[in-house]
Amino acid sequence: MASNPVMELEIWKGEWGLPSVDVHCLEVMTYAKFSGTPLKTKITNNPFKTPHGSLPVFQHENECLTKFGEISAYLRKNNHTADFELSPKQCAEAFAYSHLIYEKLVPALQFVWWIDSKNFIEFTRPLYAKLLPFPLNFYYPGQYEKHAKQLAMSLYPEEDDLSVIETAVYRQADECLCLLATKLGEKEFFFGQSPSSLDAVVFAHLAPLLKAPLPSAALQNHLKACTNLTRFVGRVLQRYFPKEIKDQEQAERKITKQESEYSDSEFPNKLRNISIAALISLVAMTAYAMSTGIIQVVPADEGEEED
Amino acid sequence: MRYGAVAVPTSDLHPISSSRVNRPAPKKAFGAESGCHENLSTSSSEMRTQIGKKAHRLPRGHPALEPWPSDVKLYQPYEVEQILLQDQANSLAVQVFLRMCGLEFQVEMRSNAEHMSPSGKLPFIKCGAFVVADLDPIVSFIANKGINLTDHLDAAQKADMRAYMSLANNILGNAELYISWCDENVLNEVTCPRYGSVYSWPLNTLLTWRKQKQVTKKLTALGWITKTLDEVYEDVDHCCNALSERLGNHLYFFNDRCTELDAVVFGHVFTLLTTPLPDNRLASIVRSYPNLVEACQFLEKAFFQKPTANTTDGDSDNFN
Repeated sequence: MASNPVMELEIWKGEWGLPSVDVHCLEVMTYAKFSGTPLKTKITNNPFKTPHGSLPVFQHENECLTKFGEISAYLRKNNHTADFELSPKQCAEAFAYSHLIYEKLVPALQFVWWIDSKNFIEFTRPLYAKLLPFPLNFYYPGQYEKHAKQLAMSLYPEEDDLSVIETAVYRQADECLCLLATKLGEKEFFFGQSPSSLDAVVFAHLAPLLKAPLPSAALQNHLKACTNLTRFVGRVLQRYFPKEIKDQEQAERKITKQESEYSDSEFPNKLRNISIAALISLVAMTAYAMSTGIIQVVPADEGEEED
Repeated sequence: MRYGAVAVPTSDLHPISSSRVNRPAPKKAFGAESGCHENLSTSSSEMRTQIGKKAHRLPRGHPALEPWPSDVKLYQPYEVEQILLQDQANSLAVQVFLRMCGLEFQVEMRSNAEHMSPSGKLPFIKCGAFVVADLDPIVSFIANKGINLTDHLDAAQKADMRAYMSLANNILGNAELYISWCDENVLNEVTCPRYGSVYSWPLNTLLTWRKQKQVTKKLTALGWITKTLDEVYEDVDHCCNALSERLGNHLYFFNDRCTELDAVVFGHVFTLLTTPLPDNRLASIVRSYPNLVEACQFLEKAFFQKPTANTTDGDSDNFN
C-alpha cells in the first residue's frame, strides 16, 4: 500500500444536514473534529474495495484501519485526543457508556434501518441504491439486511418471531435513551464544557436516527421527546459541522423556490386556458343550437322590403 | 490438573443478612400438581409475553406480586463437570444477587438446564408459577415484588450502574465466550469435553458442534470473531481497568452498599480467577487489579461462607 502522508477517511455521503449517513463514519469524523485532527474526508460510497467490505476506511502512512476503537487509539498515539481533560474515572465512565450504547441502542438502530419492513422498503433500500454505484446497489443493501437479521436472531436465539424480538429491542433502546438523557442532564457535553469521545459516540448514533425522514418513526419520536439529547445533536452540528447545515438549508431553499416558481408560472396559463375553453364551448353550443332549429334568427322587416 | 473445573464458593446457604420479606406459609403454586415440564412450558409462554410487554406496574393481585415462596429453585448445569465460563459467571452473579436481597433459594443442577430455560440463557429460577432466566429479567421480577438494591442510588448513579453492567457483560461475557469457543486450545482441552460430558457419543459431538456454530454466529454478529486473542486480552484488561477505577479503594461500587453491579462483577471476577485454563493470562490480568480481587474475596466471605466461631484466617483458598 502506498504511504499516505495525509490522514484520509473514505466515507458514505451525507444527507439531511449530516456529514455522513453512516454511524461508523460519523463516529470517526466527529472524534476527529473534537480532537482537532486534520482529517481529509473522501466520499466514495463504495465499500467494494475496502478490507472488510464496509466503510469508513482510515488511511495514514501505511496504516489502514476500519474500526472506531482502533482509529481513536491510533489518533491518541499521534497526540490527537478528545479526552485530555478527563480524569481516569471519567475515561472509565466514557468507556462504560459507549458499551451501554453498543449493547442496547445498536440492535434497535439495526432494526429501524434494516429490519422494519416499512422503513427498509420505503427509505433505506432506495437511499443506499441511490448512493451505491451500479451494480453494487443490488448486492450491498441485501447483505446489510442479512447481517442485521443475524444480529437480532443471535441475541435472542430461542425466539422465532421478529415482532417479539422487536418489542424487546425497542424497550431496551428506550431505556438506553432515558439513561443517556439522565447522564447528560442540562450540561452542554457529557463531561462539562468540552466534548469527549463519548460525545462523539453518542452523537454518531443519535444524529441519523434524529434527522432521517423515517416512515416508521416510533424510536425517533422517543428520541425527539428527550429534548436535551435533541439539543445536544443540534449543538454539535452547529459548532462542528456548520458547512453541512448551510448546504442543507441552501438545498431546502432551492427546492421550495422551484416549487413556488412552478406554481406561479402555472397561473397565467390557467386563466387563459379557461377563457379560451369557455369561448370555444359557447361557439360550439350556439352553432349546434342554430343547426337543429332550437334558436332561429328571423330578420325583422323582410316582407315590407319586397314591395 | 483438570482444566475447567470450577471452584465453588464454600457452599451454603443461609444468607448473612436477615430476610426482609415476610414469608407466609408456602401456597401451592397454580398448576404445581402437574408435571414439572408442563409447569415450565406454560410459564415459559407467559414469560415470553412478559418479555414483550413494556415495563409497567402490574395490577394488584397479579401472581407475580405474591411474596417470595420458600421453594424457589435456581437451575444451572453441573458445576464440576459441565458448566462453562460464561454460564458459571452468570450463575454466580444471580446467586450472590439473591443472597444480597436475603432471598432463599436452592441450586438445582441439570444437564439440560440450557434447553429448559425459556430464552436459552442461564441460569434461570423457578419461582412459583414463573420461570425467569438471566439476571436482568430476574432483577425486574424481584423488583416487582418490592425488593431491590438500588433504592439508595439517585438517577445519575443508576445510569452509571447500568452502563458499567453493560460494560462488564459486553466485554467480560463475550471474552469468556470467545475464549471458550474460538480458541483452539481451550476448545479442545476444556470446552468440548465439558460440554459433551453429560451426553453419550455421537450426541456429544453433534451438540457441541451445534453450540459452537451458534456461538460463532453470535460473535460474528457482534464483531468479535475478527479479533485476535491478544486483542481480546487487551479488551479484558481495559475493562478491568475501568471497573477498578470506578471501584477505587471501596469494597462496593456505590455508596458502600451492594448493588447488581457488585453481583455481576463478582460473578465474572470469581470465575476468571478460579477456573484453570491452559493459558492463565486471563486470571493474571484480573489479578493485576488487587482492589477487584479484594472486593470479590469480601463478597465471597460475606455471602458464601458460614460464619464459624473458630475462623481465624478469613481468606478463602480459592484465590491462591
